[in-house]
Amino acid sequence: MSRHLRFIARTVMVQNGNVDEAYKILNRILTHDGVIDAVKRKRYYEKPCRERQRKNFENCRRIYHSEMARKITFISVTNREDPWLGC
Amino acid sequence: DHEGIVCQLLPTIPCSKSNGPFTLKCSCESIGLQRTLCTSAVRRQETAASTTSSAKTSRDSSIFPPIIGEESSLRWGGKKFEELPIAHVKATYNNTHIQLTESTGQSMVRTSCGTEGFKNIKKSTPIAAQTAGISAAAKATAKGVKFVRVVVKGLGPGRLSAIKGLTMGGLEVISITDNTPVPHNGCRPRKARRT
Repeated sequence: MSRHLRFIARTVMVQNGNVDEAYKILNRILTHDGVIDAVKRKRYYEKPCRERQRKNFENCRRIYHSEMARKITFISVTNREDPWLGC
Repeated sequence: DHEGIVCQLLPTIPCSKSNGPFTLKCSCESIGLQRTLCTSAVRRQETAASTTSSAKTSRDSSIFPPIIGEESSLRWGGKKFEELPIAHVKATYNNTHIQLTESTGQSMVRTSCGTEGFKNIKKSTPIAAQTAGISAAAKATAKGVKFVRVVVKGLGPGRLSAIKGLTMGGLEVISITDNTPVPHNGCRPRKARRT
């Protein structure tokens, strides 16, 4: 970052000459921190109404995905105790 | 084509001579630890076994850059991390510029896709960025630069291939920083495109 945390923030050391590996790691860190989408989004102006719609949509999407993942992990459990045991 | 990266870094050769190109100091510490062993008098001369074992552990754990306090014992070509030259790579959507500067900021080498003879749309390709990187590295090695830290700015097509070009041209990249400017809602960008 320009003057703050120069060469401390958003920096990855290259190990054993693996530049590709280091670049991938850097990219992964940046996407997880949301820097890459922020840059892409700020390339063109996003009107406030579009921004609200997008935030709403992303919230709903996050809820949906987490619920679906929960459902899938629940269903895919095979070893369960028998609920009808003793009947 | 991209698989032929010339790995200039010597594989963990036990550095027993003091004026080798890659003098590994006692690097048995991780970033936060301070051990008296590492700041002792024995710096460049080390036994083979300890160097390889400590080199492996330091290489595995040091994805973070050395903090510019007094703790780092890593040297590249005899220089500390903060004294190495910097290669600024500005990867815009239409072009890629590469400028090599000293650690003080003095410019040494400046290349871009345009100076390599590409025009208009061909400048916004990764191949053009790679040739720019190769030529920048060639000019830099002519000035005696070996190790360099890369600072990338922007998300363009030449972002990765410029760094690859630098390695292919003979420079040794030791760290990659991302300095893409992200405004905290400063200037209003241009209006959205409708395609």
